[in-house]
Amino acid sequence: MTRQEKIRNFCIVAHIDHGKSTLADRLMETTNTVAKRDMEEQLLDSMDIERERGITIKLTPATMKYNYEGEEYTLNLIDTPGHVDFSYEVSRSLAACEGAILVVDASQGVQAQTLANVYLALDANLEIVPVINKIDLPSADIKGTKKEIEDVIGIPCDNACEISAKTGLNITSVLDAIVKYIPCPKGEENRPLKALIFDSYYDSYKGAVSMVRIFDGSVKVGDEILFMQTQKSFVVTEVGIYKPQACPTEILQAGEVGYIAASIKNVSDTKVGDTITLKNNPIEKALEGYKEATSVVFCGIFPLDGDKYQELNDALEKLKLNDASLHFTKETSLALGHGFRCGFLGLLHMEIITERLEREFGLDIITTSPSVEYKIWDNKNKEHDVTNPSEMPPMANITKMEEPVVKMEIITPKDYLGGIMDLCADRRGMYLDMQYIDANRTKLIYTMPLNEIVYDFFDKIKSLSKGYASMDYELNGYQESDLVKLDILLNGEICDALSIIVHKDKAYARGRALCEKLKMVIPRHLFEIPIQAVIGGKVIARETISAMRKDVLAKCYGGDVTRKRKLLEKQKEGKKRMRRLGSVDLPSEAFVTILKLDD
Amino acid sequence: MALYIHIPFCNKKCDYCDFVSYPLGTGCMKNYLTALIKEIDLVKQTYSNQTFSTIFIGGGTPSVLFGGFIKQLSQKIFSSFKFCKNVEFTIEVNPSSLTEEKLIEYKSAGINRISLGVQSLDDKVLKSVGRNQTKQDVLNALKLIEKHNFKNVNADVIIGLPNSSKKSVLNTIKFLIPHTTHISAYGLQIEENTPLYKNIKQGKLSPMPEDEIASTFLSVSKTLKNAGFNQYEISNFSRPKFECKHNQKYWNGSYYLGLGIAAHSYFNNKRFCNSSNFNNYLEKINANTLPIETEEVLTKQQQIEEFIMLSLRTQKGLNIAQFNKKFKQNFLQSRKNSIKNLKKLNLIDIKNNNLTIKPSKIYLSNAIILELI
Repeated sequence: MTRQEKIRNFCIVAHIDHGKSTLADRLMETTNTVAKRDMEEQLLDSMDIERERGITIKLTPATMKYNYEGEEYTLNLIDTPGHVDFSYEVSRSLAACEGAILVVDASQGVQAQTLANVYLALDANLEIVPVINKIDLPSADIKGTKKEIEDVIGIPCDNACEISAKTGLNITSVLDAIVKYIPCPKGEENRPLKALIFDSYYDSYKGAVSMVRIFDGSVKVGDEILFMQTQKSFVVTEVGIYKPQACPTEILQAGEVGYIAASIKNVSDTKVGDTITLKNNPIEKALEGYKEATSVVFCGIFPLDGDKYQELNDALEKLKLNDASLHFTKETSLALGHGFRCGFLGLLHMEIITERLEREFGLDIITTSPSVEYKIWDNKNKEHDVTNPSEMPPMANITKMEEPVVKMEIITPKDYLGGIMDLCADRRGMYLDMQYIDANRTKLIYTMPLNEIVYDFFDKIKSLSKGYASMDYELNGYQESDLVKLDILLNGEICDALSIIVHKDKAYARGRALCEKLKMVIPRHLFEIPIQAVIGGKVIARETISAMRKDVLAKCYGGDVTRKRKLLEKQKEGKKRMRRLGSVDLPSEAFVTILKLDD
Repeated sequence: MALYIHIPFCNKKCDYCDFVSYPLGTGCMKNYLTALIKEIDLVKQTYSNQTFSTIFIGGGTPSVLFGGFIKQLSQKIFSSFKFCKNVEFTIEVNPSSLTEEKLIEYKSAGINRISLGVQSLDDKVLKSVGRNQTKQDVLNALKLIEKHNFKNVNADVIIGLPNSSKKSVLNTIKFLIPHTTHISAYGLQIEENTPLYKNIKQGKLSPMPEDEIASTFLSVSKTLKNAGFNQYEISNFSRPKFECKHNQKYWNGSYYLGLGIAAHSYFNNKRFCNSSNFNNYLEKINANTLPIETEEVLTKQQQIEEFIMLSLRTQKGLNIAQFNKKFKQNFLQSRKNSIKNLKKLNLIDIKNNNLTIKPSKIYLSNAIILELI
């Protein structure tokens, strides 16, 4: 047997919560890649946030050794994120593999992201190994799930593994199937180096590190490598594999998965999707890379304390080192001062970034309402790409407006069909098709404006269907739209940080809801505060916060002085946690509440 | 300087109170007097250059003490510290424990001001907060005080007690006016770890609504003003020349010495506080050490904060020239925007170098002070 015949490169695809990360943990445990006592639940999810939320965001590869019929095989697992925001990362890991394990929850069957991810894997010509998970659950329907995979996806399930990743049942059958069914890599060992960067990150000791799949040739310390897209070359300082911690090796050869470090200062030099070759012996044609991830959702991020602008800048730079999909540019708001307009893959991505800024960097930040990218044409026929409400030209100058739409697929048990169709209609969805998956479940297909789903659509679908429905979407171009800019006036002053772009039909409801919400979160002041929602100078909703009537530290004698002073100091601290907009102090929660606005 | 002596005993603690107080027993009373006398001996050298102009015996309930305690204590005080002429000497009494015998003792001890803990004249209200006292007790006490010719009499009244109303508070105030020279009317503070807090949490009692408290405050000040009282501090009203000199010292940043359990002192820019544990206090005194539990040397910023916080509680307000001189800062310049804003909102006045909170806005003082510190 040749060296490459004893390698398998695979990933796991699944709908969120179907047990992907748990299975990955079990595989590593069973192959003794990680000793059981070192197991931290869901090992590959290396960020706290990932573990807490039970989601995978970053790709983390792991190399395992497995004995099958007397031969030792090297199994390279590349984990993939499960959330719809990160589907572009899925396609990245797929390109580095020959096969994919398709995990389906036996109690839930095929779901929207099962489909989305499996189609991506089929497009990449991967061998698919179906695995039925959670067979220990009382509600598991193994036969039905297999039939669904055969009918809906068209993959035979005769040899599908039946497992429980949670209890560890039948895990070796998965390992066996990987060896048996997934093809080995067939790289040319003697050709010049051809390696694909499927991810990169910044390490403070090694510099920018490229995660690579070696297709042809080999690379070792001292080689001078060339990044074909950027045309930059570096001398390799370290190569290695992930166990799942990075472990240096002497050489990386065709068919293997590992990393290359070359004291590279800028992560932007290790561009995901780029091909690495040797400077002195280059290949002619680079691998087909990836489409660059595009930002879908935008929002402003400002430091609560204006003096922390530079710290916020540094924190974003650092996050960007390991997250090429994060984009940011400087932004100045009249209300909030200096900050950044940031672009994200989706709302979850945005939440994760803001959470990391607060947790890992200890910053207090304010995020403004998320927006999508609108295309607006003015009367000079100039196109504006507007991601920030404050950049919207005056209505009188606008001749045409377009908003991004998505193609949305929702799989739901038929009991919830009515509620979900009502929700889609309410969110300006356009019905395209309905397909029956089985006697009980239906797939709905809609086109829908992106700005209708960035807020809370996913949560709504989940709560409407008691968690049973699933969704997936992809961007599907632009459509003409009747949009307006909704401004909020606090005490008569416009507060640009609270402005939103909204469809005309939704403006009144949104304006009212915003005013009501703000009334609840803004504390009473020394004066009365009118809150107004305004479109082009016309007030469409109004609430009033009445003035504070009593606020006094009742008595203050000798023994009270210190306590009273400390109370005042605490209140003063509390005030610092507020942002003064004009004359009004807004608690930073105010901005968050607005994001979570319930229509 | 001012001298404060804490008497940490009560017959029964009221449900809203979170001050340090213990049930009174004869043994501990004797021990406490001995300890106080020893504490005076321990500190008197430090204050030998100071002249004291006020004495305040507070609590707790000083009037639960008997058997010549107050007399002995005051003799010790007068023989240990230097006092000016016309010293203001106050004792806090509660109506249910005051007797004629005690008043005679107070008089002979040199006490010239009585502070009577009335709180409310509504028996139902008093009962609901566990204060063992009736309206009749108050009437009896006032009669005795008048009989023994105490010319300077304060009454404490709480605004916002459960089951009370604006009307019941005003009735209490109106009744007290002819019998007093000074009234302290302060808002109920619902402190954690008190039975009242628990009762409110459990829904057994409900405090007066915020808006009613606000309007009660305003009516109380109006009523007292019409009766010739002057609101010289947020919660203190007096007839002309009957301001409480002792409390004024707290607000104008004077130094004061506190003796006894949990008593606070302020001296040489240092705030310090005695142990609030009975045994701990006694042990330390018996070991000839000062029973100080916490102390804090104020930073300049803290001194500034206190100066603003305390002076703005008073009718006289904050003297800008004094501030600038004391802290080498330009008060108006460094707080230009806040002051402009507060003036625009008609909350403050600046006259003759004094910044004051408008009388009608005095109950917003906390928010106003926050703008300025």
